[in-house]
Amino acid sequence: MPAAASTDPGEVSDLDLVKRSQAGDTRAFDVLVTRYRGRIYAMTYHLIQNETEAWDLAQEAFIKAWRALPTFKHDAGFYTWLYRIAHNVSYDWLRKKKIQGDGEFDDERVEHRIAVGAEATPHGDLAPDTALRNAELGQRIQAAIATLSPEHRQVIVLREVEGLAYEEIAALIPCSLGTVMSRLFYARKKLQEQLHDVYETSL
Amino acid sequence: MKHPSEEHDLIRWIDGEMNETERATFEERLKLEPALATEAQKMRSLSASLRSHMPAEIRVPHADYFNTQIEVRITQMALDDARSKQAATSWSAMFQWLTQPWFALVGAAALAVLGFFLLQPASADDSESMILSSYTPNLRVQARTYHDHEADATVLMLDGLDAMPADKHISGVNIQRSEMEPELASTTMYDEKGAAVFMISHDSLGNPLISPEG
Amino acid sequence: MKVFLPVLGLLFCAATVCAQEAPPQAVMTSVKHATDGHVWGALIFATNDSEKLTGGKEPEHADLPKLHERLAKVFPFKHFEVLGQHRQDIFREYESWIVPSQDLFMKIDSKGPAEKDGLNLHLQVWRRHQVLVKSDAILRKDSPLFIGGPPWKNGRLIFVVYLERT
Repeated sequence: MPAAASTDPGEVSDLDLVKRSQAGDTRAFDVLVTRYRGRIYAMTYHLIQNETEAWDLAQEAFIKAWRALPTFKHDAGFYTWLYRIAHNVSYDWLRKKKIQGDGEFDDERVEHRIAVGAEATPHGDLAPDTALRNAELGQRIQAAIATLSPEHRQVIVLREVEGLAYEEIAALIPCSLGTVMSRLFYARKKLQEQLHDVYETSL
Repeated sequence: MKHPSEEHDLIRWIDGEMNETERATFEERLKLEPALATEAQKMRSLSASLRSHMPAEIRVPHADYFNTQIEVRITQMALDDARSKQAATSWSAMFQWLTQPWFALVGAAALAVLGFFLLQPASADDSESMILSSYTPNLRVQARTYHDHEADATVLMLDGLDAMPADKHISGVNIQRSEMEPELASTTMYDEKGAAVFMISHDSLGNPLISPEG
Repeated sequence: MKVFLPVLGLLFCAATVCAQEAPPQAVMTSVKHATDGHVWGALIFATNDSEKLTGGKEPEHADLPKLHERLAKVFPFKHFEVLGQHRQDIFREYESWIVPSQDLFMKIDSKGPAEKDGLNLHLQVWRRHQVLVKSDAILRKDSPLFIGGPPWKNGRLIFVVYLERT
């Protein structure tokens, strides 16, 4: 399952914060938001490929989590539970957009301003041309992912970003293990086609 | 268990989902099938690139605002819930009033008042300053916010602050201009006569330092 | 000669124009940073005991009529005086400080314009080395913000913030 943030010895645990939140303590919930907003936003961003929408959906996920706190049973970790909510919010949005759209996803429909990988990963030690190539590759990857359908984008994000095992992906979606593997294979194949010039020359 | 297809073998090998025996067998195949080995290498390389360019955590733009917007919406939800509960309990009482003979008169008067307000210019709420959210690090301090219509001002009242010592001399200045030096992360402030009065910079924790110390 | 004089005149005019267009002697000015607004901040002492007053002026601002009376409607005191004031541009990219006094001052971070001629901002009120409150707010013209600060000499310190222009 997605790993929760490891807390420093002096930090309040998720369990304490969740219990206080369940009692109505919005400050405790605020700490949880701060603790996990970066990861939730990353997940929504990678799925949605749009900064503004991802920001709104990440907010929506936390609001839904607050609403659903009375039902949280502490049997799984808070982050795992939150992640599931955020994933469902984002995936539902994506599918709705596909239904409302004209058909296949393509990279002209989806806007993204910068190569997120370039922003999140410090490149201070790279030579300027290497940093630029890295940023360009990041943008190419973002554009390629944007061409994937929601189902294929979903497995790529859950595997490559969150590092979930096949069984965990199957439980989250939900679907069979075989479907997870088939979708992963297809998604990677499609990305390879989009990025063939990068990987032809890199070998 | 059904034997996995070749595509699944490739995926499972790349993702480290094979056991020792399966991995050894597959790697033997890779040695004998160069095309498969090339495909596997490319796909592995792609996977590594994806992980590298899709970070698991991204800094949220306007992070403080992100949090406070959530807080505002949660507060609003709580208010809406409280209002709807109140409305639900008073419905039955309301229906009883409808059967009273004097209701027609009261109803007419209420409609007149409602009409008066509806004909008024739009509420001034959206032209007032607003406090969207506040946080007091000291738990003994409470922040209350409201708009005072008589004073025509938005108020942020901090209750529970420790008093300033009565014998403390609190003096002020009249700053009319400031100059910022981003490279030095400092700002110099000038009074109405153009004399430098303060310089504000930061300590190692980012807390403000005003010099000269008063 | 007939041609020479007009040409000379033309050259003379051109030279004059060029001299006028030449950039003036460079003057050292501070770099202009982008701003989202301009505020007035004042630290006010409110008290019922006139003997506790320090000799400051009554609070007044050209755009805030009857400021004294308005303060009195919120804070139950008879006397109000300005201890310090500060007019400050609110920078778009950097933090801005409103320091009418070293004892109570404010940091403002602009979050950009808000509708109805307002300014979205994050503000922090500081008392020396301690932050008293952090707030997200929308400031609008003609709508001051009164912040009730710490008690002092049986009275109260009040921070007034007013958006003079966007």
